[in-house]
Amino acid sequence: MTTPLFAIVGHPNKGKSSIVSTLAQDESVAISPIPGTTVDNRYYPMQVDGETLYALVDTPGFQRARAALEWMQKQPGSSVDRANIVRMFVEEHHDDHRFAAECSLLTPILDGAGILYVIDGSRPFGEEYEAEMEILRWTGQPSLALINMIGDSDYSEEWNNALGQYFRIVRIFDAMTADFDRRIQLLLAFGQIREEWRESLEKAVQVLQQEQQRRRKLSARMMAETISRMVSYTCQRRLKGDGAGNAVRDSLQQAYKRELTSMEQQCRNEVEQIYNHKHLERHEAHVQLLAEDLFAEQTWVLFGLTQQQLITTGALGGAATGGIIDLAVGGASLFLGAGIGAMIGGVSAWVTTDRIADIKILGLPLGGKQLSIGPMRNINFPYVVLGRALYHHSMIEDRTHAHRAPLELKQPPAWLQTLDTDRRKQLEKIFVKLRRQETPHSDLVDALADRIQQLMERPASQTTKTPS
Amino acid sequence: MTHSSLIGDLIDLNAALKSDRSTDSEEKKQRDRSIGQALQQQRNNPARQLRGWLDQASTGAWQRDGHHAVQLYHVLCVILVFAGLASGWGLARAVLYYTGNAPINIVNALGLLVLPQILLLLFWLLAIIPNRIPLLGSLQSALRFLNPGRLTRHLARLFPARSRQSLSLVWDTEYTTALAPATRWLFSFWSQLFAFCFNIGVLLAAFYMISFSDLAFAWSTTLNLDSTTFHHMLSALSWPWHTLFPDAVPSPELVEISRYYRLDEASFGTADSRLAVQLSQWWPFLVSAIICYGFIPRLLTLFVSWLRFRHHLAHALPRLPGSPELLARMNSPLISTSAPRPENVAEIDTGNDFGAPESGSYALKCAVIDWSGTGVNAASAAKQLQTMGISCLDFMMAGGIRSTAQDNATIVSLCNLKPEGVAVIVKSWEPPLLEFLDFIQNIRAQCNRQQPIIILLWGGRDGVSGLDRETWQLTLRQLKDPDLHIESMGSVQ
Repeated sequence: MTTPLFAIVGHPNKGKSSIVSTLAQDESVAISPIPGTTVDNRYYPMQVDGETLYALVDTPGFQRARAALEWMQKQPGSSVDRANIVRMFVEEHHDDHRFAAECSLLTPILDGAGILYVIDGSRPFGEEYEAEMEILRWTGQPSLALINMIGDSDYSEEWNNALGQYFRIVRIFDAMTADFDRRIQLLLAFGQIREEWRESLEKAVQVLQQEQQRRRKLSARMMAETISRMVSYTCQRRLKGDGAGNAVRDSLQQAYKRELTSMEQQCRNEVEQIYNHKHLERHEAHVQLLAEDLFAEQTWVLFGLTQQQLITTGALGGAATGGIIDLAVGGASLFLGAGIGAMIGGVSAWVTTDRIADIKILGLPLGGKQLSIGPMRNINFPYVVLGRALYHHSMIEDRTHAHRAPLELKQPPAWLQTLDTDRRKQLEKIFVKLRRQETPHSDLVDALADRIQQLMERPASQTTKTPS
Repeated sequence: MTHSSLIGDLIDLNAALKSDRSTDSEEKKQRDRSIGQALQQQRNNPARQLRGWLDQASTGAWQRDGHHAVQLYHVLCVILVFAGLASGWGLARAVLYYTGNAPINIVNALGLLVLPQILLLLFWLLAIIPNRIPLLGSLQSALRFLNPGRLTRHLARLFPARSRQSLSLVWDTEYTTALAPATRWLFSFWSQLFAFCFNIGVLLAAFYMISFSDLAFAWSTTLNLDSTTFHHMLSALSWPWHTLFPDAVPSPELVEISRYYRLDEASFGTADSRLAVQLSQWWPFLVSAIICYGFIPRLLTLFVSWLRFRHHLAHALPRLPGSPELLARMNSPLISTSAPRPENVAEIDTGNDFGAPESGSYALKCAVIDWSGTGVNAASAAKQLQTMGISCLDFMMAGGIRSTAQDNATIVSLCNLKPEGVAVIVKSWEPPLLEFLDFIQNIRAQCNRQQPIIILLWGGRDGVSGLDRETWQLTLRQLKDPDLHIESMGSVQ
């Protein structure tokens, strides 16, 4: 079985390179409004562990199709000789710079490539296309016409009529907005042009679908990791003197916000990398801290033990001491000793923490005040972060590599609010645990990543997108 | 080199993953997939697969500091072993100090060598209970905070920065997501190592003193405790070994004769050797108590801590930042859809800008050529050209479905007409092809005149877009023809 090879051919500036860029998920393909940017054939093999399942060839556009066709028409021979005449043309003119584009684009076709003829369906059909379509017909290779909708106008019907005379299969495909499913549909359509290529293309589709799942899984994990870090993030600053002034509070809040923003941006970059968008420019408003007093001023004592921990420890120590008395009287005290000891220990710790904090050893205080910010207690915060992350992911997942404009992330759709009760409860449970920092983070991250992946797989109708 | 130590591999893997962030993603995919295929048998064991990856991945990009951390870890363990042995030995020597004047108070020995161990064991058990009981969290966090194993972290500060910084990964808050459980068990392991060695020290000291001196035990307390109650308490304490070592359970008679009051010290001081032998019979009980409530539990807690530490460390390997991605690269087929070679892109010479007529109007009698069948009506085109100061001498056709020979014939007719200028109407949405540039150059060559050639962009029903005009301008500039002009017919969108 031969490896399916597809030559993307057509008039200059009709989106050949955009289609290649989208199908090959390659943002290095040069896309330019200047005709003739593509000067040479460029191969894009789809390889899985070294095995090539199919290959695309981006070719230069026709430049002197009429002259080439005239040369071919002048050659003697019947219609059965046409493919050979095209081959003769290429052989005779391969050093002729006038027909460099024609020779380049016809070479892979003569080597057995299927023809993917690309036109712009948003511009009217013109008689200048007839010569190139005729040349392609002369090659005798299986072909498919793609109507690429570059602009807003629609001349697809006009084109359908014209293309139908030269090509058996005509498909409409927007290289800029085609989502994953449409790209897959197009690949399957390629299999229709030659039966022996179908198996290979179906395998390629299967691999790409698995890859898509893998990307989702990695993205979900990345998002879960980030959300868990953002939700549980705290920032502390030791205070000098009795309390925190506004300047200290502002500066700590800025530092807190900066760190949250940095975590979110890092996640965005990682998700873009997963989807092969390495040089994407992105515009997005930073996450807003929801109206909430994030600050908690607390006393820390004895090398960092918090007041609550100190009270518990005091109570425990008291209980242990009282327990010795209980033991001494053989339990006759009905463990009153342990109980009273715990109470005395706890109350003493509570009363004396401030004083202990002021004690200095070698000039260093045992304790003091610290201003702490976070973790974010607002119950909506994780939903906001998750909503933004899912929105970014959906934009990236569906964004083609031909789309070179900056990614504008606006207000994410509010579909998280329409989550069913069960899913919302599951998420809320995880967020509560994250805020309390009770369960090991890694377990929560795993659980959250699973939930996020499920959310990513919601039907497209529910993930209403804001256009970028 | 793969470290036999998990901790060393964890540190090296973390360094590798950090360094890998700047590596090109395609390069990473290829490298990791090829290693992943070689390690396919370990696919179901991510930790082992990651350690295998570490063994095979290139070492040039990151510093392998894991062995420094492992060295420090072992040094800290050795310090704890010696500290435990020394403190156990020292305490036991102090508790069992006997000059022959007064017997060793067994209550004192139990209070210092056995009871604290039971209490600390209870604390340890409390600290490891899964955190699901309400109000226990604060107590557990306090107990974990007070874990003496944490002091080892401070002890590490005495060692070179390189080793310290590597090992500090385990307790670095940046990695709490992945490493918090392992950190908890590391501190537990260290504290139990110390405690275990402490018990060995106590036992060694006890055996040394029992072997190389004579010890006499008795019991004494101010509390109102009679011999029977005390015996019951001791029997309860001896319950775990009473069937295995019945001789190590104090008999009621021994308890009875061993009670002493310091007021009666004289009677013990003058005791005969038979009583001395009887009083020495306490040692099997004391040693059994230390073994049962100190040595064995600590051996178990040490073993559990070590196992849990290793388990969580292995569990943390695939959860380090970057590990899931690495595993995915290793275990998923390497899919490549992009071009293996960089693209040759044509360098466009933008040339000079197009000039507009000085008067704002051309004031020319021109031959007008419709290129490629624009569909423009000749009469309405002539009318529009009038507004630009162009009067139409003749309306000709070229390009499109006409042959190149017909185009040449058009040029011949054009030259014969000797117009003041040539206006060529083109479809603005179709980019200028080389055959169009050929046509313009042929006009110049054959008519042999420097008359103005005006390219008139016609945008059809959509009008001429700015992008289309720019495309035409950029392409026609390549001709470097100063008498070539571009105009839009109708409004420019």
